[in-house]
Amino acid sequence: MKNKKSLLLLLSVVLYSSQILASSSVSLLDGYEVSVEQESLKKGATIYYNLCRMCHSLKYIKYQHLLEIGFNEAEVNALRQEHLMNKAIVSTATPENAMKMFGMVPPDLSIMAKARKHGPEYIYSLMLSYVENSEGIYENKIFNGIKMPDVFSYSIAQGEQEKQKIQKDAADVASFLTWTSDPHASDRKTMGFYVIAYLLVLSGLMYLVMRRVWRRLD
Amino acid sequence: MKNIISWIDRRFPLTSFVKNELTEYPTPRNLSFWWNFGSLAGVVLVIQIITGVFLAMHYKADASLAFDSVEHIMRDVNYGWLIRYMHSTGATAFFAVIFLHMARTLYYGSYRSPRELMWWTGQILLLLIMATAFMGYLLPWGQMSYWGAQVITSLFGAVPFLGDELVIWLRGDFTVGDATLTRFFALHYLVPFIIMAMIMVHLVALHSVKSSNPSGINLADKDNIPFHPYFTTKDLFGLCIFLVIYSYFVFFQPNMFIEAENYIPADPLQTPIHIVPEWYFLPFYAILRSIPDLLGGVIAMTISVLIFTLMPFLDRTKIPGGAVYRPFYRVLFYVFLINVLVLGYVGAKPPEGFLVILGQFSTALYFGLFAILPFLAKKEELWLRKKGLSPELEALIQSEEKHKAERLAAKRKAKGQQNEK
Repeated sequence: MKNKKSLLLLLSVVLYSSQILASSSVSLLDGYEVSVEQESLKKGATIYYNLCRMCHSLKYIKYQHLLEIGFNEAEVNALRQEHLMNKAIVSTATPENAMKMFGMVPPDLSIMAKARKHGPEYIYSLMLSYVENSEGIYENKIFNGIKMPDVFSYSIAQGEQEKQKIQKDAADVASFLTWTSDPHASDRKTMGFYVIAYLLVLSGLMYLVMRRVWRRLD
Repeated sequence: MKNIISWIDRRFPLTSFVKNELTEYPTPRNLSFWWNFGSLAGVVLVIQIITGVFLAMHYKADASLAFDSVEHIMRDVNYGWLIRYMHSTGATAFFAVIFLHMARTLYYGSYRSPRELMWWTGQILLLLIMATAFMGYLLPWGQMSYWGAQVITSLFGAVPFLGDELVIWLRGDFTVGDATLTRFFALHYLVPFIIMAMIMVHLVALHSVKSSNPSGINLADKDNIPFHPYFTTKDLFGLCIFLVIYSYFVFFQPNMFIEAENYIPADPLQTPIHIVPEWYFLPFYAILRSIPDLLGGVIAMTISVLIFTLMPFLDRTKIPGGAVYRPFYRVLFYVFLINVLVLGYVGAKPPEGFLVILGQFSTALYFGLFAILPFLAKKEELWLRKKGLSPELEALIQSEEKHKAERLAAKRKAKGQQNEK
């Protein structure tokens, strides 16, 4: 009876964990998910580099790290120009200039996806929450008094097609920033899968060993 | 090999120690899986110490470098992310295991005679672990680290007369700063080894009184079985199951127990909107906040942790065993458990509206349950006797009483002999 119970427990643990491992993607809004595809990450990185980098640094990401998400050396060279390969990616605007323009230094984005609750979703929504008010000035619905302009011009986007294109871009940026916040996440999950599979097999064997040993008492 | 061992045995009780305390150490055969958590806590401590030592090789205890050094570990050090997530998840695992270990002790009445010293050394261990966890939480130097330490150290300011000096003495500065970080790092590295020593005391006490068991009565010798191979295999199986759950959190949900706010570097000029401690402190934090007066709150919180010490005095029933044979106590146990969960929930939320009243009610209930335990235990015993104890139980109580009387008589006799001399 007791053995059956523990076997059942073990089985449910196995089933439960495999179920969790299978569903580990993070969803954004509008049906988008955080992507780990190189295509999305590269696209997100390019948008970041040309748009966000004006103000925001990625101090924990060096140019050479971009090779890990599918850029080849020539592509990174084209991006970095005079910057060194082993240097962190910093904003175009110096902190002093940013201070002059906005009265603050825009936050570093390296770990933004972890520094907010539901970070990736937050980043995605923030970029698409701009509206034009009656005076023709943009406002952000989820960040009152934001200094950042509507970089994607989402508040004045015309038609579904244009909006969808911007949504896709925002999703790619969110995916890229999720990667920068935890570059080893996919290694971690892959390793975790094998570790847990190994431990489950070991648990099963240990259970049999225990049962065989305890049978001596009957 | 045999020669070497016998050479050692002539100088050190190696073989007899291994035999008496490990392989043939008599253990009750009816222990359930609830008795696995002691050895699991030991394993978690070892995981924490090993990962901690490796983290310390790359960590920099300096207010201007600490945050970056943790990110450096997570990003650049080979498998640094694994070591760091094992350590941060390990803290959660440690408390989960310790709380289950304590819940088992409470449910089965393992704190009762003759195991009071087990319970009290365990209480000291709990305090040491709490202190270590609290100091360790400052080290990543994130917003929650900083403000958590700021709030908790400021509580010492409630101490009459010495308060302000005490706070400065603890922090090494007027606010939490570099001096606080370096001393917390030093102590965070030291205390685990004191915990190790305390565990040795805990184990020596255990091996003197032996394990309690689900029946709550001291078993006859024939019901004890050697620790090896029965409990080595059982503990290893339990360990495997634990590692599966632990690995799930390490590899798939490592940030579940890290506040998002703590990925923002500490900023003394910007207070987070809600300062919440780690989950394992939440019930005590809720008690602190439920008392409107600061000093009163600090006293209540301190007592809420230390009150477990009184359990052997509060619970003086003659009915053997824990909640298994004691319906009143069982109800009390579950009400206590649910109440702690409610307090945890209240502690996690901002103190507004209904939650304030709920917190105060739960705090009163928390202490009330301890207060009524002596009366409840007496009432329960009377009720059970009225209902009629089973002959086996009656016999057990009789034999316990007889043992007690014999021990007392022996003590008197020994004393008498001494006096004669």
